[in-house]
Amino acid sequence: MKPLRVWAVARNEFIHVIRDPRSLGMGIAIPMLLLLLFGYALTLDVDNVPLVVWDQSESPASRQLVSGFLGSRYFLLRAYVHNYPEMERAVDSGRALMALVIPNDFSGRIESGRLAPVQIIVDGSDSNTATIAMGYADVVALAYSQEVAMETTRRIGGRMIHTPLDLRPRVWFNADMESKNYIIPGLIAVIMMVIAALLTSLTVAREWESGTMEQLISTPLKGSEMILGKLLPYLAIGMLDVLLAVAMGQFLFQVPLRGNVALLFAMAAIFLAGALSLGMVISIVTKSQLLASQLAMVLTFLPSFLLSGFMYAIGNMPHAIQLVTYLIPARYFVALLKGIYLKGIGLEILALEAGLLTVFGGAMVLFTNLKFKKKLV
Amino acid sequence: MWERIKHMLIKEFIQIFRDPRMKGVIFLMPIVQLLVFGYAVTTDVKNVATLVHDLDNSVASRELVSRFVKSGYFSVVEYTDSEDRVRELMDRGKVGAVLRMNKGFEDDLRAGRTSQLQVIVDGTDSNTAGIVLNYSSRIAGQFSTELLTQRILRSSGPLGQTGRVVVETRAWFNENLESRNFYVPGVIAIIVMLITLMLTSMAVVREKEIGTMEQIMVTPITSAEFILGKTVPFALIGFADVILITLIGVFWFEVPIRGNLALLFVATALYLLTTLSIGLFISTVSQTQQQAMMSTFFFYLPAVLLSGFMFPIANMPPLVQWLTYLNPLRYFLVIIRGIFLKGVGPSILWPQLLALAVMGLLTLWLAAKRFHKTLA
Amino acid sequence: MNASSNENAVVVKNLEKRFGSFTAVNRVSFEVQKGEIFGFLGPNGAGKSTTIRMLCGILSPTGGTGTVAGFDVRTEPEKIKANIGYMSQKFSLYEDLTVEENINFYSGIYRIPPEKKKERKEWVIEMAGLQDRRHSRTGILSGGWKQRLAFGCAILHEPPIIFLDEPTAGVDPVSRRQFWDLIYELSGKGVTTFVTTHYMDEAEYCNRIGLIYRGELIAIGSPDTLKTEFMQEEVLEVICERPQDAMGEIEKLRGIQEVALFGKGLHVIAQDAGRATSDIRNLLGTTASVEKIAPSLEDVFVSLIESRDRADQPQQEVRK
Repeated sequence: MKPLRVWAVARNEFIHVIRDPRSLGMGIAIPMLLLLLFGYALTLDVDNVPLVVWDQSESPASRQLVSGFLGSRYFLLRAYVHNYPEMERAVDSGRALMALVIPNDFSGRIESGRLAPVQIIVDGSDSNTATIAMGYADVVALAYSQEVAMETTRRIGGRMIHTPLDLRPRVWFNADMESKNYIIPGLIAVIMMVIAALLTSLTVAREWESGTMEQLISTPLKGSEMILGKLLPYLAIGMLDVLLAVAMGQFLFQVPLRGNVALLFAMAAIFLAGALSLGMVISIVTKSQLLASQLAMVLTFLPSFLLSGFMYAIGNMPHAIQLVTYLIPARYFVALLKGIYLKGIGLEILALEAGLLTVFGGAMVLFTNLKFKKKLV
Repeated sequence: MWERIKHMLIKEFIQIFRDPRMKGVIFLMPIVQLLVFGYAVTTDVKNVATLVHDLDNSVASRELVSRFVKSGYFSVVEYTDSEDRVRELMDRGKVGAVLRMNKGFEDDLRAGRTSQLQVIVDGTDSNTAGIVLNYSSRIAGQFSTELLTQRILRSSGPLGQTGRVVVETRAWFNENLESRNFYVPGVIAIIVMLITLMLTSMAVVREKEIGTMEQIMVTPITSAEFILGKTVPFALIGFADVILITLIGVFWFEVPIRGNLALLFVATALYLLTTLSIGLFISTVSQTQQQAMMSTFFFYLPAVLLSGFMFPIANMPPLVQWLTYLNPLRYFLVIIRGIFLKGVGPSILWPQLLALAVMGLLTLWLAAKRFHKTLA
Repeated sequence: MNASSNENAVVVKNLEKRFGSFTAVNRVSFEVQKGEIFGFLGPNGAGKSTTIRMLCGILSPTGGTGTVAGFDVRTEPEKIKANIGYMSQKFSLYEDLTVEENINFYSGIYRIPPEKKKERKEWVIEMAGLQDRRHSRTGILSGGWKQRLAFGCAILHEPPIIFLDEPTAGVDPVSRRQFWDLIYELSGKGVTTFVTTHYMDEAEYCNRIGLIYRGELIAIGSPDTLKTEFMQEEVLEVICERPQDAMGEIEKLRGIQEVALFGKGLHVIAQDAGRATSDIRNLLGTTASVEKIAPSLEDVFVSLIESRDRADQPQQEVRK
């Protein structure tokens, strides 16, 4: 391996990236866009569920229940409705996510100490939001029941009755339960994959299509030298993106970084090497930019976005899919990222993930070298 | 005129399908995405791995734990009395929840005092954590309310009968709250956009790059014919994908389809108008295939993220919500979900249909104008 | 290895390349001596580019053997690449890089020592006449300049053997003359040049030519040898009024092989020059002039190809 040749290729590739502001922009702008979107705009947290209320009872008891809903930050009253078609339309059109229907015998039943059912209609299309909203509704109802019980006690002049069970929630690692705290660390893995998908997957294919590869393979330039030379600029851009992400996480979003920063960067570099090599393999094998871009989307970006545990917990997936995620390197990197950021743990716990990641990185680089042939056909 | 368009179509199809791998990508990609979104992407939380840290070990504490288990949401993987074990399993991410009761739990309950249940959740996935806490609240709340009514009855006799609210929930459109019913119809929208955007923009630019564009332009073909010739194949592929995904979605994933199929195709056509125009527009601002791909991605990624496909628009900051009004994907998703899940028709969906139509015509006009200009 | 093979830059024996059922290069054998300018002449699709690519080590032969600079094309392609310069038919330098950046790139690839780097770069730029364009993006240069740059990059590292695939396609005559001057200069210094072309007049510049048609080498020799020995028939030049009308008539005469428009008149290929001359004179009258001339390479070429086609025909008829 001759450094001079590697450097010639690297400089070449670098000039190409700089000369095409779009590529450079993509390499920097898209990561920033992702960070901003996930930091500010995108969340699975549910708040302000739009609600319509059909209070058929219109009694102090029912109004008290309704105020329990309205007082909660989780619900937002859209309107009071007075008949079924009105309610149906509200939910059908999406104006309300949830409808609370209080039957007219509600007050009577509560006062006579019986069970008083109320109906909640929820738009189940978005099952996540629906589930969470239903959960909130249950909590409001429970709180109401407890209040009723307390009032009963006071009314009959009994002793102070204590609530039997007090639930103490403790959230470890992310006490404020800010979704951005767990999204931003994992996002770094996705950003790396995006760079790989966008930039390296096109590089070799482009040279085949334009004919410059034919010239290159007629020279003494070794395959491994070319690959390394092509990887270097994108590696630099990728590490710059990591720096950007960590900086934005720290200063803009105040995501706590409790673990070892050096370990973070080291793991990022290994993952990046693997991801870029994967992009390059796609480029080498397809020899067509159109095909490479499609394939890269499916093989690199999609799995890292959906199956790595970045957004959707792997534990919630069906067993068969969970097995598949073992093959996805982003999974390990996301675990490392979350661990380092939120749990403050290091290699003593994450040795397996780090090891597998290194294996992935090394194997990918090796595979790239194997696949590239200095021949036309 | 039709003759020329027909020939352009044939040429385009030959070019697309000459490479067998292309066929694979066009038809395989939707299937892969379907599989992922149908099976893997789920926010349903069930069988959360739970560690029980019960230092009281009494009838009452065990009863509470069994309530959690019976709910189906929690799955106890281990019982321990070691603080270190709690720390270890949480650090390693082996459990999503820890139920902790201190010594004296039952005594407190018997004596009418308040006893504590600590639920520790892993905040590294705060969505799941929130749901877990919510389940815990409900289970603990029910346990508590039952005990409370018993206590009141005991101390005050029959007078102490206290009313309780019982919530009966009905989920409309998606009774079992299956994640896949939410995502699978949405996959249609994002796949169609990706295919038409990327293929259209790159196909046109490819001709620019190779130089065949110049050759075609010398012929009597008009730019309108050229545009049609370039976009219609991808529109057809888009429709084919809609059919493919709908079939798989309905017959394999058992996603309901309650609305009007004809409406689905009309809406798809309007949607395609926009996406193809955007693809065309991208081709006019790109000189190389690489640039086309980058620009496509730069548009596509925020379009998907800010469409309501995965992340509810209602939960976005107001400014961002306003931005989504410019996103054709947003309207198409409402229509798609409306047709599949809600079974509603034009009477409810007309605003979205109108928006798509307006957007489609506007973008087409813009794209065609720019296309004509860059050629002249 | 005997002494004579040390003098051979390129040795090829029964070299073959098949793509599926299509044979692009069909058992071609020849030798090129050191310092020779060897031309490969033939129509498009004859197999010229395929042969060059095999010799450069970027395409694997499916049959036969070959050595370039003493290294085997099948087993030692990398060693070959260190000793050759290649200029492909399609322009293959980086369009978004400047002239100077492209040269710098190949300097690095060929690891030209730092002392020589500047000197070689300046030489290439001057040779190609690109002094005013050194900072121009290659993509905006016209075809002729691109070709010069590509040629320059191919010889940047002073290789002993250079392979040029249609190097002067689309280049103006003056530039072409300059180009061949340069080739001669290099040849004088001992550089072996293997060039493909379909310009007949250029073929005259070569020391030896190989005529390739449908993947087969149908003739090989110096231009003179080809004109005198290979040509069985004789060539007459006919100048008359309305040659295109005369063509049809002459073709019908006996013993006339081929009639082709050439310049202002016709070239007629005939078995017997004397008889044909009198026949044509009788046909056209005294206003026409008929003269026997030395065949041009084009004549040789056409004649050989025609006879090849005729030889293949009976076989085809039998197959039917």
